[in-house]
Amino acid sequence: MKVLVINCGSSSIKYQLFEMEDETVLASGLVEKIGAEAAIITHEVADREEEVITGEILDHREGINRVLRLLIRPDGGVIKDEKEVAAVGHRVVHGGEYFAESAIITREVRTAIRKTIDLAPLHNPPNLLGIDAAQAQLPSAVHVAVFDTAFHQSMPEYAYMYPLPRILYQKHRVRRYGFHGTSHQYVAQRAAVFLGKPLEELRLISCHIGNGASLTAIQYGKSVDTSMGMTPLEGLMMGTRCGDIDPAIVPYVIAKEELTLAEVKSMMNKHSGLMGVSGFSGDMREVTEAMFDGNKQAKLAIDMYVYRLKKMIGSYLAIMNGADALIFTAGVGENASSIRQKACENMSFLGISLDLEENAKRCKKERVVSAADSKVKVLVLPTNEELMIAREAKELV
Amino acid sequence: MAEIQKVVVVGGGTMGQGIAELLASKGFDTYLLEKSIEDAQCALHHIELSLDKELSKWGITRAEKRATLSRVHITDDPTIMSDADFVIESVYECLQTKQQILELFDELSRPEVILASNTSTLSLTEIAAFTRRPDKVIGLHFVHPVPKIPLVEVVRGLKTSSETVKNVFDFLSYLELEGVEVYESPGFVTTRLITMLINEALYTLMEGVATATDIDRAMKFGFQFKVGPLEMADRFGLDSVLAAMERLYREFGDPKFRPCPILKKMVRAGQLGVKTEEGFFLYDEDGDRIEVNQEVVSG
Repeated sequence: MKVLVINCGSSSIKYQLFEMEDETVLASGLVEKIGAEAAIITHEVADREEEVITGEILDHREGINRVLRLLIRPDGGVIKDEKEVAAVGHRVVHGGEYFAESAIITREVRTAIRKTIDLAPLHNPPNLLGIDAAQAQLPSAVHVAVFDTAFHQSMPEYAYMYPLPRILYQKHRVRRYGFHGTSHQYVAQRAAVFLGKPLEELRLISCHIGNGASLTAIQYGKSVDTSMGMTPLEGLMMGTRCGDIDPAIVPYVIAKEELTLAEVKSMMNKHSGLMGVSGFSGDMREVTEAMFDGNKQAKLAIDMYVYRLKKMIGSYLAIMNGADALIFTAGVGENASSIRQKACENMSFLGISLDLEENAKRCKKERVVSAADSKVKVLVLPTNEELMIAREAKELV
Repeated sequence: MAEIQKVVVVGGGTMGQGIAELLASKGFDTYLLEKSIEDAQCALHHIELSLDKELSKWGITRAEKRATLSRVHITDDPTIMSDADFVIESVYECLQTKQQILELFDELSRPEVILASNTSTLSLTEIAAFTRRPDKVIGLHFVHPVPKIPLVEVVRGLKTSSETVKNVFDFLSYLELEGVEVYESPGFVTTRLITMLINEALYTLMEGVATATDIDRAMKFGFQFKVGPLEMADRFGLDSVLAAMERLYREFGDPKFRPCPILKKMVRAGQLGVKTEEGFFLYDEDGDRIEVNQEVVSG
C-alpha cells in the first residue's frame, strides 16, 4: 500500500511517498514559495539525483498537482497513476480537544479543525489548504489528519489545567495542549522495540530538542505531561523562544519599553532563547562553537539551556517515580553530544549515568549512550514524524 | 478578481512609505513610484529606518527586515502601473496631481485593476471621475503609523461598485487590517474626531488650563491613550493637522472646526512636530521624545 504524507506551511508543501509493505520512501520533496512567480520544487527519488524545478505555482492545489505529476510521469515516476495512492496522511498542528487520535477527514472533522484556528492561527489554516487541495487532486484516496497535539490528550486534568480562573478554560479553552506529539509517540514506540519490552510497561522521558524543544513524560504508553503548553512557547529554553518565564515580566516589559502586543510576542518567540542570551545566534551549533572560542555570552546561553533541560528531566523523574529510559531526539537531541552530556551530568542519584565515549560518537543510528550500570537507559533515537503519519494513515484505511 | 501579487504605491511621502512597508512585510511585491529616483531613494531610506526601529523593538527579526526590504522596489517610471495587480495612490492632496496620476493609471493598468486613493481631503467621486472606470476607484484611508495601526477606512465613492468593495475587503484580510466602511464625508470618522480632540487640547493649552505635559498625561492615564493629543499632533505633523482642520472648517462651515491660533503660530514658525524635531515637545532624530519644550508650554 502506498501512502503520501503531506505537511503544508503557508507557502510550502513537504511530502513523502511511502511503500508501506516495507516502509520505504519512494520519493520525497519540498515545494517552496507557493504564490510567488518562481516557486521551487526539490524532488528526490531513492538512488537518483535530486531534481530542482522552478516555475509559477499559484496555490496549494496546483502545488499538489505538480507533485503528483512528478510522481506519476512515465519517465522517472514512481507510480503509474494516482489511484495507487491509497491514503494521504496530513500533518495538522492543532487538534484542540477534539482529537485524541488521528482521524479520517470527513466534513465534521474538517469543521473541527477549522474551529481550532484561533489556537494555531499560523499553522492550521495552511494545513486546511493542503487538505482541500489534496482531496481535490486525490479524490479516491483516504485522507487522514494526524495531529501534533493528539498524543497529549491523555494528560490528566491536573497536568493540563493552568491555575487561572476556570472561566478562561470554559470560555476560551485555555489549557495545556502540548506539541511534537507525533515525534514523542514515535520515539516512545521505538524505545519499546529497542528495549525489547512492551510500551505499556515503560516509563519514558522523551526530549524532542530541535529549534523548538519539548519534553514529554510517557507513562505506560501515555503522555502524562509535556513541557509545551497552550502554545509552543512554554517550557524549555529554545533556539529563539524563551520558554518558561515569570508571566509578570510581560506587562512590565510592555510598559517599560512601550511595546505593542505583536512586538512582545515577536520578542519572546524570535529574539529570545539562545538568540536572546548569546546576542548573535539561535543555532545551537553556532553558539556551541562560539562557546569553545571563549565567548562568555554563548557559554551563559548554553549553561542556561542545559540547566533548564535538566530541571525539566528531574521534574518528570519525580512525577513518574523514576524512568526506564531517557530519550533524546530531533536536531539538537540527536547530534549535540555535549548538550546530552551536560544535561545528564551529576544525575547518578537519580539513576542516570552516561557512557561518555558512546555518547560522544557521531552516528545516525538508534543507540544506547548510558553506562552499563545506569538505572535509566539513555537512548538516542532519530525521530521520523513522516513515517509515523504514514503508519497512522495506513492504520485507518 | 485575480490573485494580487504586485502592488504599485504612488507617492513616497510619510503615508506612502508606511503603506509600502506594510505591503512588503505581508509578502506583496511592492513598487514605490515617485517623481524622481532621488525622492524614491529617500522614501526607501525611511522605510529602512522604520524597519530598524521595529527591529530594535524586537517586532521583527533581521531576516524579516531583509525579506521586507527585498520586496520594496523603487522607480520613477509610471509604466510600472501596466504590471500592477492593485494600485494605491498616496500623493500630495492636490486635485491636479491626483488627476495626472489617475489618467496615467487609466491609460496604463489592466482594465480589471482597482485603484485605491489614500485621500482624506478630496472627494473620491471627483477623483474617480478622472477615469473611465469609476466603479473600480475606492478610498483607503490609512492611519499613521501605517505598519502599526491595524485600521483602514474604506471609502465608497458614488460609483464604486459593490464588487470592488468586496475585493478590497478580501485584500485587507491579507494585510491583517480591519476595514471600516465609511461614506464620503470630510474627515470620515478618524480624522474628524481626532482633529477635534487635538484642537480642543490646543485651546485648553492656550487658555492655560494645564501644561502640555499634563494635558497629555491626563488623557494618557485617564483614557488609556498610548500618547496624549499634543504628542499625537506632533507625530502627525502640525502642518497636516492644520490642513485637516482648515478643510473641515471650510467644508462644514461650522465654527466648532476653527483651528486654534496656537496651531497656526507654530506652523508659521516651522515647528511642525517630530519631523522638525520640535513641536509641543522635543524629539531626537529617531522620533523619540527627549524633554518638554518649555517655551511653547509657557507661551
